Amino acid sequence: MSDKKADYVKQEMTELAKTASNCNIPDNETILVQRTIRSGQTVQYSGHIVILGDVNPGAEIIAGGNIMVLGCLRGIAHAGALGNQLAVVAAFRLEPTQLRIANHITRAPDGEKWQPQQPEVARIKNGVVVIEKLQSMGERYLNFC
Amino acid sequence: MGEVIVITSGKGGVGKTTTTANIGTGLASLGYKVVMVDTDIGLRNLDVVMGLENRIVYDIVDVVHGHCRLKQALIKDKRFEDLFLLPASQTRDKTSVTQEQMRKLCKDLKEEYDYVLIDCPAGIEGGFKNAIAGADKAIVVTTPEVSAVRDADRIVGLLEANDLKNPKLIINRIRPHMVKKGDMMDIDDMIEILAIELLGVVPEDEFIVVSTNKGEPAVLDKNSMAGQAYRNISLRITGENVPLMQLDVNVGIMKKLRKLIGF
Repeated sequence: MSDKKADYVKQEMTELAKTASNCNIPDNETILVQRTIRSGQTVQYSGHIVILGDVNPGAEIIAGGNIMVLGCLRGIAHAGALGNQLAVVAAFRLEPTQLRIANHITRAPDGEKWQPQQPEVARIKNGVVVIEKLQSMGERYLNFC
Repeated sequence: MGEVIVITSGKGGVGKTTTTANIGTGLASLGYKVVMVDTDIGLRNLDVVMGLENRIVYDIVDVVHGHCRLKQALIKDKRFEDLFLLPASQTRDKTSVTQEQMRKLCKDLKEEYDYVLIDCPAGIEGGFKNAIAGADKAIVVTTPEVSAVRDADRIVGLLEANDLKNPKLIINRIRPHMVKKGDMMDIDDMIEILAIELLGVVPEDEFIVVSTNKGEPAVLDKNSMAGQAYRNISLRITGENVPLMQLDVNVGIMKKLRKLIGF
């Protein structure tokens, strides 16, 4: 691609980021990790994190923005680690050992296990962490940030 | 030119030393030249499990520091001509050997032997780092327990970070009747988390206790289920395709009666 076209694409993307989100963290501050995260490994970033794989128990994902796991989340995920209460954690199978959003920490109740049947998203609603079905019907339903 | 295989696990007590002894003996019984190296310096066990503890004069620390030649330290097995053991030191500790020394040792051993099996100590620090330094391939041993699988996952991550790609998995001490009841982890659950290739499954067998105390590896016994599993694993290492053993054997009425009476 010629330099001019590359600059044009970059500019377009930044414009989109500015208009689409009302979140503190723009769309283009995202990293994509293209592997499974094993026990003992940590992924830390001030923006959003997308994992293409599983997050095994004993692994930690710490993001200033949202966390999306395209696999099973079985470890610890901390979204909005810099204080953003609007951040979410979404996964194909949400069964973390611990879920943290901003300064809220939750886990499965004693004796029960997470039993995900479908992709789910966790967010803070009315001061508590709630888990809902992850719907992909556009911005109106997705409603991140 | 042989290959150096490290047998590791992370968690202690899952059966690394037993596995090393049995695979080593199994490969030797198939006709290969094998040397087993015990790198658990200070807590050596491989010599006891092989029944060779009385024959130790020199050990790996002596070799690495140049006090003796490699050939002087190697102990020939009681039963097989082409099976050797390089024992660890009992009086020193893990700081006595460096990674560079291990690499050189493995390179020297690779030239003489078809298989160099390295028995790795438990943990993820110096002993582990020394053991994997010279290795070409890795085998991860685990038991069907949540804690063991957690540690095995950590180890797989560390192996991949140290360029030991595609480690193979051995699931040890599995009890099929507990798996059926749902009290013990299923093989498929473990592979789903660990995501590495399965090399073999070894059932829980009382005979292992007898064999380790006597110093005669279970592979040599015809009646032991664990021995049969280790024989199959040795064949798979050499490249043969052996189907997984049927582990839940239906005990017939006559066998049950005999068990009651005491035969």
